[in-house]
Amino acid sequence: MGGGSGNSGKSQRDEEFSLETLAGLSRVSERTIRYYITRGLLAGPVRGGRGAFYTAEHLKRLHEIREQQQRGLTLTAIERLATAVEVEERLPEPETWLSYKMAPDLVVQVRCGTSPWRVRQVRSALERLAKEFLEK
Amino acid sequence: MGDTQTTHGFVPTNQATGKALDLSMQTLWLTGQVLGVGARLWVRHEFESQESKPVEVIYSFVLPRDASLRRFHVSGTDFSVDSELRPTEEAHKIYEAGIQAGSLSTLAREYGDGLVNLSLGNLRPKEKVVVLLEILAGVELHDDGLRLRFPFTLAPSYHAQARGMEVSPGRLELELPADEFGDLILPPFERDGGQLHRVGFCLDVQAESGIQEIASPSHGLRVQFSDSHGSQVSLSRESDLPDRDLVLDVRTKTAGPWAMGGLAGEGMARFAAVIPSTEFGRVSDSPRRLVILLDRSGSMQGLPLTQAKKAIAACLGALDAKDLFGLVAFDNKAELFKRELSEGSTENRWAAREFLDRIASRGGTELASGVDAAASLLQDKQGDILILTDGQVFGTDKILERARATNMRIHCLGIGSASQDRFLAQLARHTGGVCRFLTPRERVDLPAVELFASIGRPMGKDVAVTVEGASKLKIAPEPSRFVFSGTPLLVYGEFLPVEDARLSVQWLGAEGKSHFEFPIRLSETSWGGTLKLLQGACIISDSESRLEGAGSRTAVARRETARVHERLLELSREYGLASSAMSLVAVVKRAGDVPGEITKTRIVPVGIPSELEHFQGAGLMFAASCLMKLETAAEQLPAEAIKASSLFAFLSSPVRRSKSATEEVAPDETKEDLLVALAGMMEPDGGMPGETEEARIGNSIVALLYFMREGNTSSSGPFRIHVERLLQYLNSNRLSTLSRANAEAATRTLKGLVAGVSPAGDWHRHAERLAKAKMVDLHVFWRELTVAVNA
Repeated sequence: MGGGSGNSGKSQRDEEFSLETLAGLSRVSERTIRYYITRGLLAGPVRGGRGAFYTAEHLKRLHEIREQQQRGLTLTAIERLATAVEVEERLPEPETWLSYKMAPDLVVQVRCGTSPWRVRQVRSALERLAKEFLEK
Repeated sequence: MGDTQTTHGFVPTNQATGKALDLSMQTLWLTGQVLGVGARLWVRHEFESQESKPVEVIYSFVLPRDASLRRFHVSGTDFSVDSELRPTEEAHKIYEAGIQAGSLSTLAREYGDGLVNLSLGNLRPKEKVVVLLEILAGVELHDDGLRLRFPFTLAPSYHAQARGMEVSPGRLELELPADEFGDLILPPFERDGGQLHRVGFCLDVQAESGIQEIASPSHGLRVQFSDSHGSQVSLSRESDLPDRDLVLDVRTKTAGPWAMGGLAGEGMARFAAVIPSTEFGRVSDSPRRLVILLDRSGSMQGLPLTQAKKAIAACLGALDAKDLFGLVAFDNKAELFKRELSEGSTENRWAAREFLDRIASRGGTELASGVDAAASLLQDKQGDILILTDGQVFGTDKILERARATNMRIHCLGIGSASQDRFLAQLARHTGGVCRFLTPRERVDLPAVELFASIGRPMGKDVAVTVEGASKLKIAPEPSRFVFSGTPLLVYGEFLPVEDARLSVQWLGAEGKSHFEFPIRLSETSWGGTLKLLQGACIISDSESRLEGAGSRTAVARRETARVHERLLELSREYGLASSAMSLVAVVKRAGDVPGEITKTRIVPVGIPSELEHFQGAGLMFAASCLMKLETAAEQLPAEAIKASSLFAFLSSPVRRSKSATEEVAPDETKEDLLVALAGMMEPDGGMPGETEEARIGNSIVALLYFMREGNTSSSGPFRIHVERLLQYLNSNRLSTLSRANAEAATRTLKGLVAGVSPAGDWHRHAERLAKAKMVDLHVFWRELTVAVNA
């Protein structure tokens, strides 16, 4: 099992926790942690077998789960929320960008849908830039 | 424990497809002995994993009433090991160390409300493991026998901080707050029992006074009488679904007092004595002060609420004008009929009925606030509370604490699954009341009337028990100070063995101070050891109910919790039984154990009692009430999160929120319905209603004839109070107002009834007309009665 919380001088973020230590720090039992891992609510340990250990990320996630439970969410609800966030992270919504070819080797892109004053500001800056390029 | 192991060669299959079910736990089989005061049970759990990697299987169940775990035995192909009893913290560490080492680890740990997690870790692929768990359990005692209830199911129950949702059609998820229930894992609640493990039972039933009858309202039985004192009872089918609890009724041949005892090691004799209420003389006729508390929560929806309301109407009929009564309906809040106790006058009883008619099911089961409201009506003076509830609540320790603080006797009529039996039995016992528990398939109103007849007027009070001629006597748990009609007094104790020990009981009854004695016979058998275990289970169960969850707020409460915890440690060690302070653990080291593997967790789903379907979707009602927390949470969550998860969509589903169409549907009219209807009509002076004195007398005789024809007398039967009051009403002065011929027929009828002879006639027809039209055809009735008494 990995190192324990100990007094290694490392910050908690860099530490490697055993399952027992993670359980003690999070006040969530080892059995429950295994249950969360099975349900996909919590990532499994870093490395497998005897060298398995947990990190501050695991601890943070356990605190998040506890906080969501206190807000009235069941584990399934938390699971679905996590899945929804993951889906969002994996597949961001498509966006439209305006592409300004400033020179054969230079393209500036501006996201479509920005406010008119911002578009005007950007256009003005691009015009100045284009002029500078042409003058050179 | 080897002699109790039985193999059962059936394989759970999906009823629809006929294919074998892929389950982590395949069967649960109940064996053991049912004795006169309790049961010594062995529950066999068979586990087999179909997965490709080791798994940790968690099975959850609730203990029956007055029950404790004693030990378990784990066996597999080439191993066999018994559990050890260790303080829970230590047991937990042993279990976790076993898991880390890759060994087969088993832990049976009890949480609040008698909920137990049986965890089996590192079950290998295709490995078969049997866990045989011994449980000591109490029974519901009656003067003429007992009722055993064993939970094969787990009912989802109300808790204000519970989180719950219907995760897929017919499957409920429920979680309880960790600060109160620790790391308890509740199972998925499955509506379709066909997808679950199989259950069965085979029990030896023994009764000192001989067995008259064995029956079950829950399961088909096969009964084999071995001798006059014992029988073997088993499930008539090969196996069954875990969709309802086992309820076993045993009626004994004689109803006299009896005691059983024996040596229990340590040089002490242990005994249990059962003294029927009939030994305590007659009921006094002093006025009663009582409050009826009706659970109107969502889970009571449908027939139970309809029946409970009818039962209360019948109970009101048994009130005397001098009695004072209150009526409270509760769910999340309590609704009072009146803010003070009312006299049992005709007007008040009619007003109470109108109040009842308006009561519909809704909300959660905030029993504690209901009890508080009922107690406030009694204003700290002596009185009784009768609760009609399904008891579907978690976090019962707080309710018990509040109930004890009211200093009122609380009587419970439970309507529900066995998982609530434990709580309601404690609620009654801790307050000096009595408890009856019914399945929703049974009638509620008759037992309610029966219970109502016995409460308010104890047959004996200030009951004191001792054993004459015994030294080092210890009687525990403390016997009830009150004895009510129909419920015997149960006494457990120990003393240094002597030959002529006599149990002595003193009490204050209707005839003043009374006393009787009878001998305690010590046998050479192993009774002493068994009685010690049953006694221990009862004491531990009582102590546990005083253990608040870890979330106790005040320093005083925390100190009290620590004190009770220490006491539980002592008791567990003394009696060799598990409790919430001590757990059972076993670790089996096998060849090829791989340390450090993280196993997959598999939670064994449990069946929702099928009676809840009988309640027309109470499970969903429950889920909806529980999900009020989720609705609140939904308001707090970012809108996109809710949209993204589409988690709360079903909350707005009209199906989920619709009320059951059966809410107001009454059962078909039966003779029991007729009895309840007649009882509900009774006037405060004990007579039936009528437009003239002659009509009232005629109607009263019709009701009396019908009550007595159905087996009720002034001293027995659920309508004994009604019979007694009708007889008082029909006194000679009143009969003298009749015509001479009718007076003579009435007098002769009453004399015959008192002597146990009923005139032959179709009194059912007249009673039916009385219940429906509120009057009988007097001309026809008197003519038929005259013919009958002259025959």
